[in-house]
Amino acid sequence: MSAAEDQGGAGMASFRTRLLVAMMLVVSAAAAAMLVLTQRNVDASVRRDFQRDFQDRLAALQTVQDVRHAVIAERSRLLARKARIHAALEDSALDLLYPSARDELADVTTADEGAFREPGAFALRARYYRFLDGKGQVITPADAKDVGELADADASKLATGRLIDQPQTGYIRREAGEDGHVIDEVIAMPIVSSESGEPIAAIVLGFKPPVLGGREAGLPSGIWLDGRLDLPTIPDEARAALEPVLAKAVAADGDHGAFEFHSAGTSYLVSYKQLNPGSVYAPAFEVAVLSLAESSALQRRLAWEFAGVAALVLAGAYLLSHILSRRLSAPVERLAVDSEENRAHWHRAQAALENTSQELQRSARFSADASHQLKTPVTVLRAGLEELLAGENLKPEAREEVSSLVHQTFRLASVIEDLLLLSRVDAGRLQIQFSRVDLAPLFEALLDDVGALPDVFDLEVEADVPPALWITGEKGYITLILQNLLENARKYNHTHGRIRIGALEEGEWVVVRIGNTGPAIPRASQEHIFERFHRGAVGENVPGHGIGLNLARELALLHGGDLRLSRSDNEWTEFELRFRAAGAAGKAKP
Amino acid sequence: MTPHGFRRVAALAALVAFLPAAARAQAQVEGRVALPKALHAPVMNQRYGIISHEGVLSPYPPVAVVYLEGAFQATPPDKPAQMAQRDLNFFPAILPILVGTRVEFPNEDDTYHNIFSYSPAKRFDLGRYRSDERPIPSELFDVAGMVTLRCDIHEHMRAIILVLDTPHFVISGTDGTFSLKGLPEGNYVLKAWVDSRTTLEKPVVLTAGPALHADFP
Repeated sequence: MSAAEDQGGAGMASFRTRLLVAMMLVVSAAAAAMLVLTQRNVDASVRRDFQRDFQDRLAALQTVQDVRHAVIAERSRLLARKARIHAALEDSALDLLYPSARDELADVTTADEGAFREPGAFALRARYYRFLDGKGQVITPADAKDVGELADADASKLATGRLIDQPQTGYIRREAGEDGHVIDEVIAMPIVSSESGEPIAAIVLGFKPPVLGGREAGLPSGIWLDGRLDLPTIPDEARAALEPVLAKAVAADGDHGAFEFHSAGTSYLVSYKQLNPGSVYAPAFEVAVLSLAESSALQRRLAWEFAGVAALVLAGAYLLSHILSRRLSAPVERLAVDSEENRAHWHRAQAALENTSQELQRSARFSADASHQLKTPVTVLRAGLEELLAGENLKPEAREEVSSLVHQTFRLASVIEDLLLLSRVDAGRLQIQFSRVDLAPLFEALLDDVGALPDVFDLEVEADVPPALWITGEKGYITLILQNLLENARKYNHTHGRIRIGALEEGEWVVVRIGNTGPAIPRASQEHIFERFHRGAVGENVPGHGIGLNLARELALLHGGDLRLSRSDNEWTEFELRFRAAGAAGKAKP
Repeated sequence: MTPHGFRRVAALAALVAFLPAAARAQAQVEGRVALPKALHAPVMNQRYGIISHEGVLSPYPPVAVVYLEGAFQATPPDKPAQMAQRDLNFFPAILPILVGTRVEFPNEDDTYHNIFSYSPAKRFDLGRYRSDERPIPSELFDVAGMVTLRCDIHEHMRAIILVLDTPHFVISGTDGTFSLKGLPEGNYVLKAWVDSRTTLEKPVVLTAGPALHADFP
């Protein structure tokens, strides 16, 4: 028992440990997973933000381009309607082209940049403009004062080489003093004859590339043009290393793409998109380059922060899981202890039952042995007494005495018989051989017997038994029951008393009622009268050994029936006996 | 614009120009210029005399100006020629003149016009004026060549003044037939101006007597 408890205690401790370890594992795994996910998330969000900023920037550039295109297209349309422009272009008066357009385009190249605050005005704030003739060649102005200064070499870059019928966007790099060079965004717009609907010339305007506001303004980006990258925000050596990679990417992937690039221990995200797809001008690309150094630093910081937080969480989780495992394991522990106790109880009960069973078996065996051991001497005794009685030399008083003794041996034998029967019942060895039994002839025979007995009380016997009343059972035992009951009814009667026997079929039962006049059974005794060796408060003069009713009841129960006291008062005592009915035509049932 | 209008004006100009020479030169040439098929002019320009197509200006309906090239001593007429603006159009839309001729541009419409030319042969800008402008604005055309006239206000308006070195010119009919009279005898080149890019030419030997027949091409 104590070994089992120890075992249980060890089991509980291991259970608690396992619970604790499992919880710690879960918390650690969750923290690690969160760290990994968040790092990945940071990385992904850096890339996503970069791409989004780049797309925003492209969209903003596109918007500016669109606005410029729209404004310039409108200007071009207005110009094309000017008879003087036509005259200048068609009448070999190109020298008059710029003067003729001067008024129309006066606001385009105004020197006062501060004068333009509106987006539309900004969009049209050109550095210069030039006309292209019907062959797409630049028409040189007589005086560049009104149309923006431009070196001849740079001006020649504006040529489209043919008459264009769609707006063209281009980028040119030109030398500009000490600053090295600047990049212009140029837009060429056809001038379409309002009469024939066909292009007759073109106007090209050169703009400063848009300076963007908003979030995407902070994006480090530049322009890739003619194999050179114009991007001052990254280190020169990185740019020098990037240029050939970019050239290859642009050649291979067409008008847009993205890649990661490593230089001098730093990673860069690079995205590029052609700014002027399908243009007659040289392809130019918007290129955004994001150094991942900052992002890596952020990731490292996050990792540290996470490690700290995870450690805290783990410590907290350790405490929590400790408490939790304790609380969780408590009822399990209690359950385990309870079950141990239960098992002990069960073992004890089992042992007690075993004992009882052995006692019972012993007692039953003893009862049977005793009966057998007793029967032989009684028989010997009776034989001796009868021999004595047969003798001639016995005095009459003595003869009577001996005769009485012989009678006592019969009683003794009867008791022994009953005890033997009871012991067999107790031992469970009494098997009823069920068959169909008619009660009517049994009663007839019993009443004959009763009539033959000496009637000390002058009793009146009434019997109300149907001519045929079939039950299932064994005839001998049924007779024994009825004998016992009738015996009792006769014994516990008074002078001029009555005995009444009734039997009738009630459903599946056959009920036999045997009643008699006589003293009432005291109420306190009523519940004990079926107990073995109980004789109630009857006088000692009444013969009996206190096992008759007990035996009758045991036998009735073995028959599947019952025996009970249905009434007992000063006038009448009645027993009710039940058997299973076999029915007039029915068969015997087990 | 009717061909008769051209012919009458041309005949008048020829008469004025050649009266002194007529006494000694009586040659005559007639023939037919194969005119380009009339382009289907845009509806907007249906009634206009000069249409522009792919940078080429041509009369509509097609007519040719036939003239005899050569060094002629000719005096410009005292009376100026006229090119009016009528119904938002030039009238006539094509006008051959002898070098040194003054042309008046009366505005016969109720609206302003602003006649100008960027042509190398004559650049001018008359500015905006109405029909009551007096004197009638005019320009002297003293350099030979083709002058394209436009209106700065009405961009569709076009006219051509052919300033010629010769007094011998005529506007063909819309069928291309022409007849030049009172020409001097001798070897000359006969030219037919068809549009701003096309001038056909044919050497001719002119003699007095029956009319020489010359077709273009």
